[in-house]
Amino acid sequence: MKTYGTEPGAPTPVQVGISELTVSDGDDTLKSYGLGSCVAIALYDPETEIGGLAHTMLPDGDAAENSDRKPGKYADTAIRALLRRMVERGASYTSVEAKLAGGSDMFEFDSFGDGVGQRNIAAAKAELEKLGVPLVATDLGGDRGRTVEFTPGTGALMVKSSNEDGTQEVTEL
Amino acid sequence: MKLDVNALGTFYRMAREGTGLAAGRLTHMTDVETRAGVTKLNFMRGREIRRDFEDSTAKVGVRVELTGAIDGYSVIVFERENALRIVETLLEESATDAAVTTDDGELEEFDEMTKSAATEVGNIMNNGFIDGWADVLETVIDVSTPEFIEGHSAETFFDDVEEAPAGDDLALLFQSQIETIETQVGFSHYLFPERESMASLLEQLRASDGIEYDKLDGFDRMAERGAEEVAKTATTLTGIETSVEIRRLNFVSLETIPEQVPDERLVGVAFEFDGLPSGYLLFLFDEESANEIVDAMVPMEVDEDGFGQMGQSAIKELGNIMASGFLDGWANVLDTTIDHSTPEFIHDIGAAAVDPVVIQLGEEQEFAFVFDTVIVADGQEFDCEIYAIPDESDLERALNDLDVDRIEQAPTTAEFQDVTDT
Repeated sequence: MKTYGTEPGAPTPVQVGISELTVSDGDDTLKSYGLGSCVAIALYDPETEIGGLAHTMLPDGDAAENSDRKPGKYADTAIRALLRRMVERGASYTSVEAKLAGGSDMFEFDSFGDGVGQRNIAAAKAELEKLGVPLVATDLGGDRGRTVEFTPGTGALMVKSSNEDGTQEVTEL
Repeated sequence: MKLDVNALGTFYRMAREGTGLAAGRLTHMTDVETRAGVTKLNFMRGREIRRDFEDSTAKVGVRVELTGAIDGYSVIVFERENALRIVETLLEESATDAAVTTDDGELEEFDEMTKSAATEVGNIMNNGFIDGWADVLETVIDVSTPEFIEGHSAETFFDDVEEAPAGDDLALLFQSQIETIETQVGFSHYLFPERESMASLLEQLRASDGIEYDKLDGFDRMAERGAEEVAKTATTLTGIETSVEIRRLNFVSLETIPEQVPDERLVGVAFEFDGLPSGYLLFLFDEESANEIVDAMVPMEVDEDGFGQMGQSAIKELGNIMASGFLDGWANVLDTTIDHSTPEFIHDIGAAAVDPVVIQLGEEQEFAFVFDTVIVADGQEFDCEIYAIPDESDLERALNDLDVDRIEQAPTTAEFQDVTDT
């Protein structure tokens, strides 16, 4: 198939929009832009090089009606859906590791209570713990936005955020 | 005729599903990989639709008549340039007559052949939409033979359609984007249903008491007054002559909101507001505009990088006064009181500024009414996007309490300004 704008050797990152999740393998890059209080959940199996990225916005899918239709929207259902799809592709459940980024608290509004970012972080950690998936690296909280790029083949999660003076900070997890 | 969030949610799913099917068929036909981009459900008055057509770009459209679950007209409108590019791709793919393009390979005119190719594209997309709607509604909608239309003004597209809204009537507009890997093919999709057919459809979809359709007029008046107040206060405070370029009421799924914010660092001020309705209000400026505002508001030369103490407080002050104006505009229309918080400054990637709000509202609701407003200045950088996102149940309550007769009597403020024509 003809695809517009793709140059050989420079694979276009697959965009994982808010509430979406994508599973892939090898050198494909999965990218989520502008996470504020949302949490990016990256799972991968280093042996089979199969991994996935979810851009979750809410903590609790089990309590929501539409989590069947939109598993990527909630931290708990996103982790389970990622795991299931990875295993279906050949990943081995027991070797899967997790990395998390995001969950900032950008605003201090009364209506936000303890912070919407914190609630998402807690939910993602709790679900990983419950399923016995080791959390190997994180870049969480604070008050800056983040853009993440995940390569399942290497398990590298690049986290970009910008400082107040406009300079960009890149962290590899 | 009454509607509620459930009915609107169904319409939104129809638009989304339809865009997905239309994108899929376009891919199939052109062999160019596409995906459905942002979908919005808008309420617009007839005169605003007509105004949208007056931006002097040539447009082409494909119109079909619908019967069955929905009676009325469906019109897909592309900018002429976009339509030509699609047709070009299509003809290249099917490796036909090279004579349709000029020497540099660019297609410039519609002839019989390209016209029929464009009609075909429009028709396939129209059918994609309508099949998507039929799927969501689990029913059958019949479609007439497509009609190709080319022109500059709304008259060409709508004047012989009886169902097209008159100046003050509200119409439903589906706005969709179909994305190829690097470009976006934007188009507008107008649905002009017969009132009776729409009423029975809404009746069927409604899951709660809902609000009288006619009260949507209150929405429109809120959007209008809010936007005017903001432009006025911005001009007073900065001395920069500003006007309202876009104001539109969208009904979207919450996760669409961060997606439509520009993917770059923006300067913004955010508020929470409390009253009937409660919700969140964000003013977002691109960096250049924010710099101009700081220059206009801070008289002396400031020696600070980026947005330091002085710059931030200037932007916050402006935001604060614009927020008061905006919410006063709403409160006047709704005859309620709305208080707002102190401003929170943000300088970050656009989407990151919006997602906390979306998350907070997402605990209780799946969709949101977003009052999108864009304020611009003539000959100077002052681009301000305003997102006002009220709590859904509060908004429904506020509208239900609204006395429609009172809106009619409310003083009509200055005419919506036509900045695009200058």
